[in-house]
Amino acid sequence: MTDRRPIKISINALGGQGGGVLAGWIVKVAERAGYIAQLTSVPGVAQRTGATIYYIELFPEELSAARNAAPVLALMPAPGDVDIVLACEIMEAGRAMMRGFVTDKTMLIASSHRVYAISEKIKLGDGRQDAADIIDAAERTAGGFILADMEAAAAAAGAVISAVMFGVLAGSGALPISRNMFEDVIRASGRSVDENLGGFANGFEAALRKSANGAPQSKPAPGGAAAAVQKLLTRMNNEIPGRAQFIVKEGVKKLVDYQDIKYADLYLDRLARICAIDKENAGDRRDWKLTCDVARHLALWMAFEDTIRVADLKTRASRFARFRIDVRADEGQIVHVSEYMHPRIEEICDLMPAWLGEKVLSTPALRSGLSVFFKKGRRIPTTKLRGFLLLNFIGSLKFLRRGSLRYKIEDVRINDWLQTIESVAREDYALACEIAGLQRLIKGYGDTHARGIGNYQTLLSLLDDIKLQAAPADTLASLKIAALADEDGVALGTAIGRLQPGRKAA
Amino acid sequence: MAERSFAKEVEDLRIGEGEVFRGEGILAVTKALLQSGVSYVGGYQGAPISHLMDVLADAQEILGELKVHFEASASEAAAAAMLAASVNYPLRGAVTWKSTVGTNVASDALASVASSGVTGGALVIIGEDYGEGSSIMQERSHAFAMKSQMWLLDPRPNLTSIVDMVEKGFELSEASNTPVMLELRIRACHVYGSFVAKDNVTPSFTLRDAMENPVRDYDRVVLPPSNFVHEVEKIEHRWPAAIDFIRKHRLNEFFGGATGEVGIIVQGGLYNTLIRALELAGLSDAFGETELPIYCLNVAYPLIDDEVKGFCLDKKAVLIVEEGQPEYIEQALNTILRNGDIQTKVIGKQVLPRAGEYTSQVILSGLQKFLGKFAPQAATENNKTGATAPSPESIKTITETVPQRPAGFCTGCPERPVFSAMKLVQKDIGKFHVSCDIGCHLFSILPPFDIGNTTMGYGLGWSGASAFNAESSVRTVSIMGDGGFWHNGLTSGVGNAVFNRNDNVLVIVDNGYSAATGGQDILSSRADNKTKATNNPIARAVRGMGVTWLKEVNTYDVGAMMKALKSAMTTATTGPKVIIAQSECMLNRERREKPLRNKAIRDGKRVVRARFGVDPDTCTGDHACIRISGCPSLTLKENPDPLKSDPVAYVDNDCVGCGVCGENAHAAVLCPSFYRAALIYNPSFLDKLLAGFRGAVISFFQRWGDAKRARYSFGAQQ
Repeated sequence: MTDRRPIKISINALGGQGGGVLAGWIVKVAERAGYIAQLTSVPGVAQRTGATIYYIELFPEELSAARNAAPVLALMPAPGDVDIVLACEIMEAGRAMMRGFVTDKTMLIASSHRVYAISEKIKLGDGRQDAADIIDAAERTAGGFILADMEAAAAAAGAVISAVMFGVLAGSGALPISRNMFEDVIRASGRSVDENLGGFANGFEAALRKSANGAPQSKPAPGGAAAAVQKLLTRMNNEIPGRAQFIVKEGVKKLVDYQDIKYADLYLDRLARICAIDKENAGDRRDWKLTCDVARHLALWMAFEDTIRVADLKTRASRFARFRIDVRADEGQIVHVSEYMHPRIEEICDLMPAWLGEKVLSTPALRSGLSVFFKKGRRIPTTKLRGFLLLNFIGSLKFLRRGSLRYKIEDVRINDWLQTIESVAREDYALACEIAGLQRLIKGYGDTHARGIGNYQTLLSLLDDIKLQAAPADTLASLKIAALADEDGVALGTAIGRLQPGRKAA
Repeated sequence: MAERSFAKEVEDLRIGEGEVFRGEGILAVTKALLQSGVSYVGGYQGAPISHLMDVLADAQEILGELKVHFEASASEAAAAAMLAASVNYPLRGAVTWKSTVGTNVASDALASVASSGVTGGALVIIGEDYGEGSSIMQERSHAFAMKSQMWLLDPRPNLTSIVDMVEKGFELSEASNTPVMLELRIRACHVYGSFVAKDNVTPSFTLRDAMENPVRDYDRVVLPPSNFVHEVEKIEHRWPAAIDFIRKHRLNEFFGGATGEVGIIVQGGLYNTLIRALELAGLSDAFGETELPIYCLNVAYPLIDDEVKGFCLDKKAVLIVEEGQPEYIEQALNTILRNGDIQTKVIGKQVLPRAGEYTSQVILSGLQKFLGKFAPQAATENNKTGATAPSPESIKTITETVPQRPAGFCTGCPERPVFSAMKLVQKDIGKFHVSCDIGCHLFSILPPFDIGNTTMGYGLGWSGASAFNAESSVRTVSIMGDGGFWHNGLTSGVGNAVFNRNDNVLVIVDNGYSAATGGQDILSSRADNKTKATNNPIARAVRGMGVTWLKEVNTYDVGAMMKALKSAMTTATTGPKVIIAQSECMLNRERREKPLRNKAIRDGKRVVRARFGVDPDTCTGDHACIRISGCPSLTLKENPDPLKSDPVAYVDNDCVGCGVCGENAHAAVLCPSFYRAALIYNPSFLDKLLAGFRGAVISFFQRWGDAKRARYSFGAQQ
């Protein structure tokens, strides 16, 4: 009996990522290096975006020839018995560990980038899973662990991710095969050879470094603030505790950008009231949580997304520069951009002077008569003059904002919200912080926005009940999570139903 | 044209005696068919045997040279019926499909051909879609072999064994006048390996010879009294002939030590996995050398009584490694031993699980239980790897972190907008019952769409809702793909609905291919196909069946799709309503157009490429757009606004510019963040002129805006 066992390699990939290409290359390089190679996979439906495994076993040909027998190679990886795991995405490294493929004898090679699963993407808030867990477990578990953003390394070289992973495998030394032989396989593939060799080199070097770091971020030289802004900042420095200044500064910056200096002053006026209450309630021993929370959410609320704001943001030079990067336009390439917009009669009325907007919305004949013009979505060509000038004009209507219907509505809502926070903060500091955070429910446009407002109002209307619960702040926090769980309000309904007896909302 | 082209691999089918063939298992089978002098091949595509169909479709030239007729059958039933050619004539034929689903469809014809018996060798190659990666109900094809009395080959999963078994299969079929099934599991179909080839063989008796010299034998027709004679023939002649052949040619194999108190009987297809389990237990080396006697059943049905008795006679107990349930082989072993009055214990499902795939880990654990009881001296807790795996507790948090990855529609898939529209219509008019079919569209049952109640089989979407032909305020919607439509949905779905005066709605998703099985052409494919007649519109067939309420919609137009659905659901018109949702499968389209586009760009031609994007500063991070799309390229990105915690939507670089996200934003009145970017390659003079002019005006305004904002600068970032 021979003691020699096959080399076992598992490639844990996502359908459509090209794991088959990587597997094919590994087979070829192994054959060139004198191994008998067997490769299996289970494509099927996993091909369409699911998690999928390619499994390779290698056995030295000379041993086989000496015995005049073929080795019996397995068609699937066994837990605890895989020598090399190549995970084309960090969560897939986690899945490989869950399946027991990673041991202290395993070389784990993983790309740190994320391909979000549908369950992470569809959440109303932030459904992303944290890869820190996986990395920690990999470091504790694997015999060797090489982690690098191989997708970025591939993109940098214009290569496929398989080329980078192939390079990392070569550089890891996990296979006793020379770099040349690996590169010959890429050359023989005859497709995007130079790019893929570049990607391979990136991977090879990343393996030598053990982990690849991103490019160091250059810090711009600090510059001075404009005089009018300096006044605001001075005011902030005087009135706001240091702990909260970072967030408040972001808020001030946002609102100056959104409207003007005066509007940022209003923000600071409003915050001053909260800050005073925070002081009364030992905010200094609570990291000024209430001030921080309100500062964050008040700025976001005051910068509500109306048509003026959207038009303003869409026409800026910085946005033009950004979309060129996002769509990976070449230097100097002509790019035409058109916006998918669907202003409804409501959004139009939002822009009108409050009295007029209210009139239109409350007069059925007017409302339905005007609605006819806003039934269909529009594609606005922002990079053409017609579209640009239209949006630029709307974006310049900031001076009308304070008189608009939407401003009036939001102003009332904001003041109510702040009053509630103020009155609750004196009795229950933590609950007040949670109420501040309810602004997170209000986002989006149109129906999405209406749903958010509806949930927000539902939760506020339950406040008296919530106060009667054992842990009011935790109760509200969990209700908020429920409100963000699904858009049909199923989870929220259930959570409300579970409130301790008291008065429940209809 | 299929998803994968085998134009290169096809050339390997020509190699001759002594050369080494390298490739996938299913390609090796194809080569083996040619080496066996096959006259005709048919089948229906589906994982894991799609590549067999694809490679034959690409090998028309070689097939022509060898006088082999290849047919992409309309269904598995059609393929099985093709074997009728081997009943009267000495023609070798093979058919293939995904099993058990395909065998279910084929079973009518299979039973007939098994009853008639064959003169020429008839081989049914089934891709047993069981275990990891399977997309169907978990059943065994073994039952079909038993009920119709066809022999079932289950070769060891290496190319040499598989090829040998194909060749022997034909001989066995002819020797016993019985069709033979060859079962290949998923991984065996896809296993890459090598074998030493033989020359291809042109059949000495051809289809033409048969057609020009017809032979008729009433005894071979399944009609009284022959059908009764067939049954007797099966038992008295064909069975013994098969037993003789299998024994004589040693189709089953004996490995390991010659004697011992215990032994293992294993299905051929599981042999490698068993050896790996033995290896892990320290009981075998990498070549399968072991002290334990192993009886490897490359023929899973019928069992050879004498071989079984001989193997078991001197043993206290045997372990039968048989995947799936019911445990037909275990039962048969017990019967054989009981009848032979042999007291050897047969241990199978006592120590091995009744359900689920037999991985090496599963077999190892069963093996240890078996040895612990019957051969404690051989039992080891050995872990030959010497590796330390992490304890389950130490990686427990991972299980909560790692997300599930259900299959979904590809980037740019034309079926996505159908379900986006359906989800939006349900918001509007309320929920309705949805009967699904088989095909990519079945992914609608998964997140983010969560649409669909049942799926009854290929082409059975509409008949799956036929009971709901009752008085109701809400209609039902059924889904059917173009693949399922031509497979049998035209009759069992549309014909059935017309005849029974159904008042409900059918959506036929017409993407131009049998997309889920690998993008093969079908009758209604728009592409020209050199060997097949395409361009037969579904609408014509549906009208021909007698449907009058029919709408054809471009799927990417979400608004039109919604309108059509709503109108079908609410119209006062009674009778069956059919919507044909059309757009080409994006995988196929990109495969065809991308190289052309790249070439045009290289050649300096003006090319416009569209793709989509999301503005992160207007996106509010609610992800409603994702919930009605699920496009892989519509994903998440860190929110650039330090005040916001929820990630924004982001369109990654895989975007193919189908436009569904933008259409959805319009149809659902979502948000103004989506934009379409048209990238112009090799712009014309006019492009440049206009762009220069526009750029000048726009940047004037933008500089003005920047200057205004600069007056309120906060200074550079720290």
